[in-house]
Amino acid sequence: MLERRSALASAKPYVSAALKIAERPGFTLTQFAGLDGDFENKLSAVIGTLPDKVARAQVNGERTIFRIGPAQFWIVGPETDDAASRLAGLCAVTPLSSSRVRIALEGAPARAVLARLMPVDFDAAVFTLGNAALTGLHHTPVTVHCTGADAFDIYAMRTFALDVWDAVTDAAREFAASR
Amino acid sequence: MSAFRRLPQGGRIDRAKPVSARFDGKGLPGFTGDTLASALLANDKLLIGRSFKYHRPRGLVAAGIEEPNALFTIGEGARTEPNVAATMAELTDGLVAKSQNAWPSPDFDLMAVNSLLSPLFQSGFYYKTFMGPSKGSWMFYEPFIRKAAGLGKATDLPDPDRYDMRFAFCDVLVIGSGPAGLAAALTAGRSGARVVLAEQDSDFGGSLLSGNDAEQEAWRVVCVDELNSLSNVEVFTRTTVQGLYDGNLAVLVENRSRLHPDASKGQPRMVLTQLRARTIVMATGAIERPLVFSNNDRPGVMLASALRSYANRFAVVPDKRAVIVTNNDTAYQSALDLAAAGVAVTVADHRTNVSADILARAGAKGIAIFPGSGIFDVEGSKGVKRVKLGGAHAVTIECDAVGMAGGWSPAVHLSSHGGIKPKYDEAVAGFVPGGFPVSHFGAGAIMGAFGLSAAIAEGANAGASAAAFAGFGKTRPVYAPEHATDRTYAILPSWSSPQDAKGKAFVDFQSDVTIKDVKIAHQEGYRSVEHLKRYTTLGMGTDQGKTSNINALALMAEYRGITIPEAGTTTFRPPYAPLTMGAIAGRTVGAHFRPVRRSPLNDWHVKNGATFIDAGLWKRAWYYAWAGHSPETAYVKEMELVRNGVGMADVSTLGKIDIQGPDSAEFLNRVYVNGFAKLPVGKVRYGVMLNDDGLVLDDGTTARISENQFYMTTTTAQAGEVMSWLEYLLQCHWTDLNVQVASLTDEWAGMAVSGPKAREALQLAFPDADLSDAALPYMGCRDISFDGVTLRLLRMSFSGELAYEVHVAADHAISLWEHILKAAAPTGIKPYGLEALASLRIEKGHVAGLELDHRNTLDDLGLGKMAGKDKDYVGKALRFREDCQRPERWSLVGLELMEPDKKLRGGAILFAATDEIKGHGRGYITSVTWSTELNKFIALGLFDGGLKHEGDEIIAAFPLKNEQARLKIVSPHFIDKEGARLHA
Repeated sequence: MLERRSALASAKPYVSAALKIAERPGFTLTQFAGLDGDFENKLSAVIGTLPDKVARAQVNGERTIFRIGPAQFWIVGPETDDAASRLAGLCAVTPLSSSRVRIALEGAPARAVLARLMPVDFDAAVFTLGNAALTGLHHTPVTVHCTGADAFDIYAMRTFALDVWDAVTDAAREFAASR
Repeated sequence: MSAFRRLPQGGRIDRAKPVSARFDGKGLPGFTGDTLASALLANDKLLIGRSFKYHRPRGLVAAGIEEPNALFTIGEGARTEPNVAATMAELTDGLVAKSQNAWPSPDFDLMAVNSLLSPLFQSGFYYKTFMGPSKGSWMFYEPFIRKAAGLGKATDLPDPDRYDMRFAFCDVLVIGSGPAGLAAALTAGRSGARVVLAEQDSDFGGSLLSGNDAEQEAWRVVCVDELNSLSNVEVFTRTTVQGLYDGNLAVLVENRSRLHPDASKGQPRMVLTQLRARTIVMATGAIERPLVFSNNDRPGVMLASALRSYANRFAVVPDKRAVIVTNNDTAYQSALDLAAAGVAVTVADHRTNVSADILARAGAKGIAIFPGSGIFDVEGSKGVKRVKLGGAHAVTIECDAVGMAGGWSPAVHLSSHGGIKPKYDEAVAGFVPGGFPVSHFGAGAIMGAFGLSAAIAEGANAGASAAAFAGFGKTRPVYAPEHATDRTYAILPSWSSPQDAKGKAFVDFQSDVTIKDVKIAHQEGYRSVEHLKRYTTLGMGTDQGKTSNINALALMAEYRGITIPEAGTTTFRPPYAPLTMGAIAGRTVGAHFRPVRRSPLNDWHVKNGATFIDAGLWKRAWYYAWAGHSPETAYVKEMELVRNGVGMADVSTLGKIDIQGPDSAEFLNRVYVNGFAKLPVGKVRYGVMLNDDGLVLDDGTTARISENQFYMTTTTAQAGEVMSWLEYLLQCHWTDLNVQVASLTDEWAGMAVSGPKAREALQLAFPDADLSDAALPYMGCRDISFDGVTLRLLRMSFSGELAYEVHVAADHAISLWEHILKAAAPTGIKPYGLEALASLRIEKGHVAGLELDHRNTLDDLGLGKMAGKDKDYVGKALRFREDCQRPERWSLVGLELMEPDKKLRGGAILFAATDEIKGHGRGYITSVTWSTELNKFIALGLFDGGLKHEGDEIIAAFPLKNEQARLKIVSPHFIDKEGARLHA
């Protein structure tokens, strides 16, 4: 198979004892959009419970489901996922696995770093496990998902990924290991 | 003889921690807790600068953010920061400060000659004098005038410090930590609400920091300790709220300079916070006003409250005697505290009746009071020597300092950033907030409550109300210290000096505006305070009139015979106080200034000798090293490769949109001017779309992948706009259409394989695919599978040659690109860049971004015939409006250079051969290239009347380089007009 290459292949690694910032590759991202009134039932029949609002992501097994707009969902599954083939013909299916890069942040300073980047309330009592936000980072659209107490995934556009990476690691420079 | 001295004990300075700064090249010792201002006074440096216009000797006026005179350049080299108020600069080891606007020194300033010429420099002098003799005179004189006057000078060197920014959220933002602010923050904090307390000073307490009452200090400490103990409360010192905006957005700037932050470790010197608060409590306090009298700007003439601050907080007092001039009771706090510190104090009180209580307390401290008196004049040019009183007691008093107590101006600035004008309160003799939005509250001196217990009560109340508004009902209020009393105010407003003396009486110290200037403005007919400000420059500068505005507008009202409310105030705008540009820029400097967009093939281009060019946010491969090392020669070689063999270009930047749903064909049929309803599956069509104003929005291609799925490409420049446009149409206009769209620009990479050997190259790369003309004809499209990956082949051409675009999921782009280059190596395939790509299309006569500039119609671009006559499409109605049908519209033409020794430039202005070369001409060149086929420069352009002039000889002028060249108008299709190459 043609080799895959990450948009962050040339990114400068970020090293810190307190904060991990790393690409989290190996996922399938597919957009599912409704073409009839029964769309969400069809989708949930295959995928399971759907998130009821944009601000909360739903994790069903290996899949994370984001509601991204009216009758539009993103499903992030494992590297090999049959969701798209099972839903083909039932709705509009658009593969987007190459279009986004997933950057994970984990560690006590993560919330402070995110607060330097996005106009979202990342307070530990507010942006809790499962919360999601479609917002902007370094002038580009991103999706942020809280995956743990101080753990987050950022889905950034592939073509801006290197700059988003630089913006994130620059915002976290204070916590980086001395060079 | 000294004028000021440091007391042997007392103050909030830490005498165990001496620090040493430098001022004008000399050592300036002080203690931790000092400001640059207090250290200067403690070292008896009274004369510290020269005034803006007249270069008069100046000293400190205030102890806080309102300081108009003591502005210094702090730091050296790249860290030079001009116009820093000494009162806001904490004294730290190694701090270097320099005086400004004086040469060679403030003490002996040669520019003080300006003072002798002062009769010339009154308001309007510059505007009236330097407007002639010719139209551009002001431009000539301005640099000299600015050099003679002015403030500090910034450095051009890159700032080595780091500035951070962050977003924050809270339930209650309390601005100011005086008694009202502390009470508000603590009361709100006790409710469990998320509270942010922002204080511009280096410590919490506001006016309490300038007091000397042990019980009040204990109250302050208890409040601050409790605030620090609450996990739901964040407190910030050295943090100025610079502006309030819609949606309760507050911009806070924290100054961490004292920590000597290390930028290489990511430590910022300043942090700008965009804070969104559910509610806001304004406890911003009040600023004391000076009084206006002759020579009130002499060094040593200060605000009475500043004398008190320096005495109690910094343990610095006038050496022997101070004279305080007042029109209200609050000055006596200063008088009593100075007297307690051993300074002889005389008070000149404008009021004839002073309360018995004050007389008794002052008398007990040996303070002499002259009721019904004011200051007639101040003597001593470089420092106060004596004052002459006027009024009931015309006596002369030797003294070291003068304290002015003209009343208090509530700091209403932030309350009016949202557009609510402050209102005049007669009892306060000042402006108070004109009202608040429902989620805003005010407490303390900003509301005119100058007493301690009243401020605390108001603060507690506001804190509770704010918390309740944010949904936190239950709290415990904060109570005032047991013996706190509300001082009396009893102001008798007095705006001008009771008698005229000869000296200048300043209204605005920083802008050097005197009472005479205000009079002149009035005499010249300036009736509005806004005009007064602009004519006299009063209220401008770094202090924005914090001490001068009210006096000025009261004087103006007096001259005009109107009331102060009728005169009104000028408009307060952010920022509240000066802030360095670095704080605004934050981290978005250098490489972080704007986002950079990179193709999925970017890393390959970098490794393989591409030179890049910015195209919007994109970094695009401009040309490759194999073809040369200058764009002028490399692109020509790359063009030759495509015309004679085969080349491959990265076209991943094109916009790509997935369109799905049963109504997709109908949707496209409405969006494009040409028909798409009957586009067969497996075919691609070129399409043009208009804005609803009838002008061209974009062009591109759309392939029909299946009955209900289409694949659209747009130009690189308009990708985002077209995507938004399609979503807008579906969501707002055609909700009946069952269509979903999704951007694929980042998902798919694109490679254009172009040239007579293109099919041969791709056949080598994909030997299992049938790429014959029959299987994949011109404008055909097909998905194939290669090495486990789906590829989309689209046979279409931008260059005019036999060409294909190969699209693939972006993750696989580099592998596929490398595979094609390797497999097709026998064809001589090489990469070509953007310059060649854009030049090849000019030869073919394809329009692109330079022609699609949202000003042209279909007909202007020669595409009118494409539009469907019998169908409707966006922009159809307005396309036919009169202006769009004018025969003389600038329309697309091809241009050939007729003088081989010359060159053409994009943007050159086109003239008819007989025209005078002047003005905007009859059109311009949009795109230009060297044609490898025609061996000459060719161009596309827009020309009055377009191809009606085919064959005419015209002139291209490029005035910036003083160039002119003769051209011939030709068809824009320079090569292969029949399209034989495309169909090969």
